[in-house]
Amino acid sequence: MPPQVEIPKDSWSGSVTTVTLGATAAEGGTRSHTVTVGGHKSLPFMHFEQKMSHRPVVALEIKDHRPEDWSPLLLELWGQAANDPASWAKAAEQAGAELLVLSLSQTGSDGNPTTPETAVAAVQSVLKASGLPLLVFAPGQAELDNTLLVPVAEATRGERLVLGICEDKNYRTIVATAMANDHLISTRTPMDVNLAKQLNILVRDMGIPTDRILMDPTTGALGYGIEYGYSVMERLRLAALQGDGNTQSPMIVTPGAEAWKAKEAKIGHDVPASWGDWKERAINWETLTAVALIESGADIVVLRHPESLRRVRAAIDELMI
Amino acid sequence: MAEHIITFAGAPVPVHVATGTLVSEAAQLAGIDLQQPCGGQGRCGRCAVQVTAGDVRRRSTLRLSPDDVAAGYALACQSVIEGDVSITIPPQAGIERRLTTDRTAIEVTVPLGYSAAAQPMRRVTLTLSPPDTQDQTDDWSRLQTALRQQTGIGAFGISLPLLRRIGPILRAQNWAVTALIETDTWDRPTGAARIVDLWPGIIPDAAPLWGIAVDIGTTTVSLWLVDLLTGVVRAQVAEYNGQISRGEDVISRIIYSTKKSPLPNPLPGGEGALELRDLVLKTINTLLVTACKRVMADPASVVKATVAGNSTMIHLLLGIPCESIRLTPFVTTVNQTPVLPAAMVGLNIHPEASVDCLPGVASYVGADISAGVLSSGLDDAEAVTLFMDVGTNGEIVLGNREWLVTCACSAGPAFEGAGVQHGMRATEGAIEEIWINSDTYEPTYRVIGSAPGARARGVCGSGLIALLAELFLTGIIDRSGHFNLKLPTTRVRQGEHGDEYVIVWAAESQTGSDIVITRVDIDNLLRAKAAIYAGFSVLAEKVGMPLEMAEQVLIGGSFGKYINVEKAVEIGLLPDMPWDRFKFLGNTAARGAYLALLDRAARARITDIASRMTYIELTADNSFYDEFISALFLPHTDLSRFPTVQAALKKV
Repeated sequence: MPPQVEIPKDSWSGSVTTVTLGATAAEGGTRSHTVTVGGHKSLPFMHFEQKMSHRPVVALEIKDHRPEDWSPLLLELWGQAANDPASWAKAAEQAGAELLVLSLSQTGSDGNPTTPETAVAAVQSVLKASGLPLLVFAPGQAELDNTLLVPVAEATRGERLVLGICEDKNYRTIVATAMANDHLISTRTPMDVNLAKQLNILVRDMGIPTDRILMDPTTGALGYGIEYGYSVMERLRLAALQGDGNTQSPMIVTPGAEAWKAKEAKIGHDVPASWGDWKERAINWETLTAVALIESGADIVVLRHPESLRRVRAAIDELMI
Repeated sequence: MAEHIITFAGAPVPVHVATGTLVSEAAQLAGIDLQQPCGGQGRCGRCAVQVTAGDVRRRSTLRLSPDDVAAGYALACQSVIEGDVSITIPPQAGIERRLTTDRTAIEVTVPLGYSAAAQPMRRVTLTLSPPDTQDQTDDWSRLQTALRQQTGIGAFGISLPLLRRIGPILRAQNWAVTALIETDTWDRPTGAARIVDLWPGIIPDAAPLWGIAVDIGTTTVSLWLVDLLTGVVRAQVAEYNGQISRGEDVISRIIYSTKKSPLPNPLPGGEGALELRDLVLKTINTLLVTACKRVMADPASVVKATVAGNSTMIHLLLGIPCESIRLTPFVTTVNQTPVLPAAMVGLNIHPEASVDCLPGVASYVGADISAGVLSSGLDDAEAVTLFMDVGTNGEIVLGNREWLVTCACSAGPAFEGAGVQHGMRATEGAIEEIWINSDTYEPTYRVIGSAPGARARGVCGSGLIALLAELFLTGIIDRSGHFNLKLPTTRVRQGEHGDEYVIVWAAESQTGSDIVITRVDIDNLLRAKAAIYAGFSVLAEKVGMPLEMAEQVLIGGSFGKYINVEKAVEIGLLPDMPWDRFKFLGNTAARGAYLALLDRAARARITDIASRMTYIELTADNSFYDEFISALFLPHTDLSRFPTVQAALKKV
């Protein structure tokens, strides 16, 4: 007779907030559909405890103009599409992206700082080209970010875009414009549970509803601190399930950007032969980083390569069974 | 609507007002200028008045005790007139004393029933029979015999320099002399007494016999001049430690001390150590001169010194290499220093005076904390007590007469006013209390100083605590300490060192330039308070006892004469507990050194305390870092630990 094993089930008092990205015409936007994340009442993929309310979502990152600092592997793959955000958005949607992340560059292709006008034009052209919900990430310099994001938010009122990135030193303007124009925000803190909680408190102190907050606890690529990032995310999710309201936002992470910074993904020559095929290695790096983070509780992973996207999605499919 | 007659004591005519009028508004009508630093929101309690006839409806009594209310006190800005009343406005000073949140440092008093015999320095007057041909006893034996007869002590020691001088001294005033003897020290409790000095003639018994109690803080050095015969503290002086310019905390001092010089070096440990020793000696010796001047005493007449200080400070004072304090496994050269002659230590007191450096527990829990525990009475307390010395190296002790655990956390010098742009010690010209109006963002402050209308020079520790709390509660800074630059006030601005708030405009300051608090200052204060709060969180966790179970909280520190407990709770420096559990003891290390100076039993107790304390090394544990980051927020990331602050935030 086979032994009788009873699988212990945890029940949690807290849950992850449900957040819907994008708004359709009926909801005041122009998206063809919306994407909902979060809502979990148990640790990821513990289906025997609770069915996962929304599966993790894979986003692809595109830029406002052809990024010279991206890996040649990526630029080669996207080809002409990368020359212009609208065609890139279309290509990304065709490649299977569930969400689009448009990262605005610090400078335009002419080398001058990106202007509000070009930022707004890029965002609008992406919204026209694709019906996917959109996240817009500013370059990451407080003053420039605020100058770009405010007109973008105003020009796209009602779209429920995700505006990023709110950091503890610069969040007021972004949160205020997101609230005024019916958008969402994404916060980012450097791999620390307490710092993540603190920023969540700061933005909520401004009155933004919790169902409009995503949090990015920051991660490192495989081999570059992923275990630290993993552990922080795991602890955040455990705290959320235990009822800590300041850790209950769905988590978004950028394994694409991190993995493609890693030497293993970036460099194709003068490396040991045992490292194998460059392209395969790079895609593996991005895929493995992303899958690990999904298992630690990521709700949205932002990738750069469509092949990684396919592999990550296959992994999610299997995990969802 | 009904009209009521309000009579203000001192006002020429009563005023008539409608139901629902605030007392503060009525006072204004009557031409009385009531102070309302917080802008009439019932936060500060400065507008308390006394209703002597009739009554008012009190919307808030947050600042008043039940006794106050029973006595008719009401906050003018929170009290609604619903009938005829008579009101007396108490003098401002009276109000300040009534506030339930203020804790003034307890006064230093001579220990009850003090007798000079409790300490080992004794002045003995003698008239010896002169030698003659019948009695050719040598001078030293003659002196010893006389002393033995007078004191009953069998044998005495003497130093060679004094031995060289006794002949002439004995003869100078016809064999009448006054001897100073030290009967015992902690390290030779029953050992031979020694003659410290011998003076010609008879010194009257009432003449003071001077001792000093010194606390060498990393940032502030305090010196108390004490008459050993009466036990009275005759002068208290303090100054920044001259070593500050060579590093703000103990670690940077230790590193500096190991700086080598190419020249041969008389001190082991490095050229830096020599320099640091000189600097602290200079600080102490300057303080000594200042204190002695106040009572017209000669520094050379000070015959005993007890010294408290953290282990690094004691090592640097004595020129003992302290590098091992910084390196694992964090061991000192000496925790229990033998008694040393002043000349060898380098103090400019009597060269043969005894210098007693009090014992420490570990590298980062020094004599300052064992002395602090003594002066707080924690080692004899029934109740579980939390004691903290808010210094550059914040030390925390939890326990009672049964058990004592301790830890230390590096808080930095911010609460002593150092490392803050316009920080200063709690002396004349320092802002020690501040309120900010939450509508206008205008500050109201109190400056330490006797002269009315004294102008401010800077902000001391207690002022900084209040300032941080007010900036936070009024929304000028957010919970992580960042300024909100969008407020409608010119006081918040971008300055040379980043964002800042102007407390005093140049035209109103003593220095002729704006007094500000900058973003960097706020970071320093946040780190200091976070380190201290994290320290006792971890300590309580180690003991397995929730912090709230501490029945009393004793606070020591040299950041000012008083602390506003409420403000300290609001910034998350102190745990959120009922205010009556807090007691502010002032400089507990100096007080402990003072008690040890006066009483050998107290001195023995310090040794006992040092050996009883269990030291918890915070660096050996990763929970400290987590607690620290969590506390690096106003008041704390976990607001549920600060329910009263949560309530106050809702109100503002």
